Amino acid sequence: MAELMQLTSKRASALVAHIDGLPAMPAAAMRLLSAVGRNLDFTQIDAIVRSDEAIAARVLRIANSVIYNPRGTTVLLPEAVRRLGTRALVRIAMETEVGGLLAEGGRAYGMRRGDLSEASVGGAVAAGLIAKRVGADEGLCFAGALLRDVGKIVIDALAGPAALDALASRGEGMPFLDCEVEEFGADHSELGAALAVHWKLPTPMARLIRFHHTPPQDPIDPCCDVVHAADWVARFAGLGLGADGMLYPFDRGARERLGLTRSDLEPLVIAVLTETAAQRAATKLAFGRST
Amino acid sequence: MPPPRTETILGSTTDADRITVGVADLQASRDASRTIITYALGSCIGVTLWDPILRAGGMLHFMLPEGALNATKSLENPFMFGDTGFTLLLERVLAFGARRDRLVICAAGGAEVLADEGHFRIGSRNRTLLRKVLWKHGMLLSADDTGGSHSRTLSLRLSDGATLVKSQGKERALWPS
Repeated sequence: MAELMQLTSKRASALVAHIDGLPAMPAAAMRLLSAVGRNLDFTQIDAIVRSDEAIAARVLRIANSVIYNPRGTTVLLPEAVRRLGTRALVRIAMETEVGGLLAEGGRAYGMRRGDLSEASVGGAVAAGLIAKRVGADEGLCFAGALLRDVGKIVIDALAGPAALDALASRGEGMPFLDCEVEEFGADHSELGAALAVHWKLPTPMARLIRFHHTPPQDPIDPCCDVVHAADWVARFAGLGLGADGMLYPFDRGARERLGLTRSDLEPLVIAVLTETAAQRAATKLAFGRST
Repeated sequence: MPPPRTETILGSTTDADRITVGVADLQASRDASRTIITYALGSCIGVTLWDPILRAGGMLHFMLPEGALNATKSLENPFMFGDTGFTLLLERVLAFGARRDRLVICAAGGAEVLADEGHFRIGSRNRTLLRKVLWKHGMLLSADDTGGSHSRTLSLRLSDGATLVKSQGKERALWPS
């Protein structure tokens, strides 16, 4: 509880509490996110997939893609669930739910429909890869990266479309988080953490959201560093670039703790772009992006 | 319902007029009614070629400087890299009948992480690579808007070559300046 209080400023909590019309975290996503770090058994995952039409549709699409179904015979839901396996199902379900939640997000940053959800998935893919490399909790890092920019939907609710475009030029060279604080009294990472607390998400998730741009220098585990680096990998892959562009520092401490060099970074950027492009093609823009 | 219109300083375009270039993508056209556009250029670079007589051109949105960094990927998607991508962009535009000595060449992007401390420098290496590739082909940039830490949207109107950059809420003509 004490940590939760530290993660959210009074201003951020008050803003989140008083905004009308903030989306609710979908029930299936809540069940999955609350279970991060615990091993869900196959029956529990199966029940979540069957309970949510969007997840079931995506599972079917992926199970019927050439990767999982090279023979091209139609695979129905029970077989699809069996073929994909628990780990892939959790990822697909989370991506679907959080992607749907963020699909309209980022308007205040001048992003197009689907940009924020695609950046969310791209960052999550990067976080999974980096976590594996450094031995961090892959599931937690994946989920944290998926939700890292959820505070941007709070900013959307506070400001009109493309409202932040001019902000970046006002403070030339100023970190974008400072621009947000100047404008709203809290930045999107604080607001995201406040929203996570409001939704009663687990504390580690709120921590990853809160520190995705400013990882603590005495971390209790590598996860904040992983999600911070993952955000950058997604940005280098051209994902999630709105008015904030590249106006954040890449934390030197995180970079050094992760031992991330240029030669490590570029294959990650390529992997993220390749994975998000493959997903876009496989799901026919499941999040509704139209470009 | 008619397609939505996008207002720009040089008029408006509809979605149907627009050819969108994704990340690590290339599009070229000789349909003068079209506008080629790419969004969210960060450290990536968007480069355009336009022939004023043919009113044809193309745009590449590349992500990393050299294909040698990943030979397999540069074969799978050569548009991901500046060196392999630019060569293909040039080939596509020349295949329309464009002439090298007439081409208007513009670029935008190549932004840098705020306080990168010279560590990753993807944006600046992309900028250097582009100049190197152009030099190799005996070509020069007609105009560019690169560097800084902002994201940019780049568009090329094929009817008159108007090349626009939108950044920080403002749109300006890159070419003609």
